[in-house]
Amino acid sequence: MEAILQKDRLGQWVAQLSTRARVFAPAFVDDVWGYGPVETGAEVPLDHGNTTRPPKNFVFPQREVLYRFRVQDRHAPQITPTVPEPEPAVVFGVRPCDGRAMVRNDKVFTCGVVDPYYQARRDKVVFVGLACSAPPSPNCFCQSVGGSPHSEDGLDVLMTELEGRYHVKTLTARGLELLDAARSLFDDAGAADAGEVERAHAAARAYPQRTLASQEQVVDGLKRNFDSPKWAELARACIGCGACTYLCPSCHCFDINDEITGTSPLAGERVRTWDNCQFPDFTMHSSGHNPRDDTGSRLRQRVAHKLLYFVENHGIQQCTGCGRCITHCPVGIDIVRVTHEVAEV
Amino acid sequence: MNANVYLPQLARIAHIKDEVGGARAIKTFRVEFLDGGGFEHECGQCAMISVFGKGESMISIASAPSIKDYKQFSIMRVGRVTAAIHDMQVGDVIGVRGPYGNRFPVADWKGRNLTFIGGGCGLAPIWPVIQTAVANRGDFGNITVFYGGRTSRDILYRAELEKLRGMADVHLSVDSPEEGWEGYCGFVPANIMDKPQSPENAIAITCGPPIMIKYVIGNLSAMGFADEQIYTTIENKMKCGVGKCGRCNVGKDYVCVKGPVYSWAELKGLPQEY
Amino acid sequence: MVAIEDIRARARTLLESGEVRAVLGYQRGSAGTLAEPAFLTEPQQAASLVWDPTCIHNLALYLVNEKKRQRTQRSNDKRPLAVVAKGCDSRALVVLLQENHIDRSEVVILGVSCEGGGVIDPRKLTRALAGRAATTVAMDGADAIRVGTASGETTLPASELLADRCLECARAYPELYDTLYGDKAEGRSYSPRFAALNTVAEKPLDERRAYWNAHFERCIRCYACRAVCPMCYCDECVVDSTEFVVTPNTSADEKANRIRWIQRSPDASESAMYHLVRAMHLAGRCIDCAECERVCPVNIPVRLLNNVLEREALEAFEYVPGTDPGLPSLISSFRDGDPNDFVR
Repeated sequence: MEAILQKDRLGQWVAQLSTRARVFAPAFVDDVWGYGPVETGAEVPLDHGNTTRPPKNFVFPQREVLYRFRVQDRHAPQITPTVPEPEPAVVFGVRPCDGRAMVRNDKVFTCGVVDPYYQARRDKVVFVGLACSAPPSPNCFCQSVGGSPHSEDGLDVLMTELEGRYHVKTLTARGLELLDAARSLFDDAGAADAGEVERAHAAARAYPQRTLASQEQVVDGLKRNFDSPKWAELARACIGCGACTYLCPSCHCFDINDEITGTSPLAGERVRTWDNCQFPDFTMHSSGHNPRDDTGSRLRQRVAHKLLYFVENHGIQQCTGCGRCITHCPVGIDIVRVTHEVAEV
Repeated sequence: MNANVYLPQLARIAHIKDEVGGARAIKTFRVEFLDGGGFEHECGQCAMISVFGKGESMISIASAPSIKDYKQFSIMRVGRVTAAIHDMQVGDVIGVRGPYGNRFPVADWKGRNLTFIGGGCGLAPIWPVIQTAVANRGDFGNITVFYGGRTSRDILYRAELEKLRGMADVHLSVDSPEEGWEGYCGFVPANIMDKPQSPENAIAITCGPPIMIKYVIGNLSAMGFADEQIYTTIENKMKCGVGKCGRCNVGKDYVCVKGPVYSWAELKGLPQEY
Repeated sequence: MVAIEDIRARARTLLESGEVRAVLGYQRGSAGTLAEPAFLTEPQQAASLVWDPTCIHNLALYLVNEKKRQRTQRSNDKRPLAVVAKGCDSRALVVLLQENHIDRSEVVILGVSCEGGGVIDPRKLTRALAGRAATTVAMDGADAIRVGTASGETTLPASELLADRCLECARAYPELYDTLYGDKAEGRSYSPRFAALNTVAEKPLDERRAYWNAHFERCIRCYACRAVCPMCYCDECVVDSTEFVVTPNTSADEKANRIRWIQRSPDASESAMYHLVRAMHLAGRCIDCAECERVCPVNIPVRLLNNVLEREALEAFEYVPGTDPGLPSLISSFRDGDPNDFVR
């Protein structure tokens, strides 16, 4: 279903959706782009580049309580699962790279063994994508990893900005419901609109982006040079923080810990939090043995996981080219350059 | 199995046996599931043990799959969770979820000679295979067990190993000479070189400290064992057990799903990150 | 004027003679406008060194990291590292020397004066260019910065682009060096010391609490602030659940009894605890390079927390960190005249 929404009607659409779901949109708070709840009646300008924090929090929050436990003396502990029952949510302004990342997250969390916490959140969130008219970041490289500025993967609706209006294309049944909720606000899309959308998309694709060698070249190159000394060289400046992976829309590693909430009787929560392959202790065994005990092997893990292992396991690259890890690395470690130098492509 | 993969089943500690003392003590815990719970497992699989308020640890299941009434875990006191479970008593309740990981392909080994080579706590993961093999003694050729501890006080399953004699060739060793010790003195890899095994129609299964495994595999190769004839089981830090948390990731594999059992042929294809 | 050719020549000589095992400096990166840390080991690499207001990183960090690296790799190369150091970076080196974390013989300091200028705040640059990417950034005298973009060059007042800490810095030259590049420009600063802190500190308590809560609420605990800090060199950090010095000899009880002071859960309270603990541990040690604030991906004004303690040290003890490697550090010294009696 394709339709046209005049820009001045976006607010009404959002207001209409607010009656049935929580609506989120990119918000610039304290000089950082993130997703914030849209207050009823507030403007949704959709003039962001891309958010610093990706939308993965909606399905995989940094903290998730898996269950609560309570242990009375030596009786059998009581365990209360805390699978979330979130309110329905609609997220506006999702860039196509982040939509594609959601497809990758689905593979990790719902293929084979289903993660019930992820699934519960995923079922209740609808992603309204916004095609890029120009690369939002100088480090964008979506077109090198199978994406495009108007990719539809992982999104429920794709909006494309045209002169004074948006072209709105529904991609899933859940997306269609959003349109049906406010049908009268939309005009039919005509042949002229279709042409304009095509031109807008073509113009967006024509913007120069950074380029990464093809999936096959990268896979082959990384395999060939897996033990390259360049990993260590290129990771020499790495400070071992988690900026790259915590800001990555498709990084999914996590930790599980117990947090005590009461001692008599013993009560607490088993909590999952994001974790990070760049932290030195990520792989450390209890014995003190650490299988990846230097920055080089940890950089290799991050890059190879995105561009080699994920391909071997799922047939697609995990990286969607948003460029966040490059832009926000405190010391300029650049996944494109690292890949090219190591893989010799 | 529970639909919620993170929820443990409750199990009561029915019996605790002190195996090895000292700073890195090993105890064997026999646990029985509450409320008719439980799960079937196969040789080589692991389970996630919970001590509520402390956390979880992945521990290999040391009892044979044929035992349905309880599961057994031999646990070394090395960290937060394992110290907590060492401090528990019979009757205390822990959480268990699993089973996780792949299995030793024991059914494929019928008619073959089996050589087990263990060191330290590494006897526990291969113990179910040994138990299964001796329980079905007629299905297999020669069964040989090499096992070494640092000292005679560090020998896991001492009594059970003695009982194996007659069903299997058992070669025990301690790292350095000791008064009253009649077995081999020296490291486990040296012990196998001392009693070379024929690779013909044989399978070698080894588990122990990483450095021991490395030399054992080297020595087995020198004896003519092909990479496909050598099996080991590896460990990595694990949190979820279902291939999502990323901790145990080695190359394309999540050890908790694709491992922990590998033939040397398979393991050679992975980065040495275990 | 700082002549980059002089720094390159020195780096080349040091590497040719083999008297240092590496030169740590700045080179152009591929990730954006900023220079990136360079680890040079071959004389011909010296040509890649650059010097401009995007040379932000405090390279003293790498003396600390390389020390850890050598330890894990059991390297016996005792030759020193040469490091390009701005004023603030050299003060970090002074603190590391005071604390005996490094020895003077382990470092050859190529001191570079900011000559009254400083380094840019990348966020200010992005704002000034309304999101366009800068291709070049250079000082134009002491008060202006020339910025090149794809659509041409503009010159902006330095006061609009320089990092807050540079605007407040009255000693924009190295305290300690083996060779000095550029002239020492004494006693100038664009803003009074603690100007940025005061804008927050002057708020009423309720507003301040709300201000910090909002920031801590946003923290993702990537620990970039800690990782980039040359003073955060502890092997064992109070915030980590497991990363501490585990050796085969570490007993289970040591590990089991370790208190988890701070949970991994990134809520405002846990994150506040983390940031405040870190600030306290930097009292009298932080030399205000403000790297912690720069690297924060969610823009938490981490620097201001450290400034509070810095001001305390100044006002209570007239102590300015990083001035003299011969002086005892603030935390390890006391005065006979101390009004508190616990020291006696």
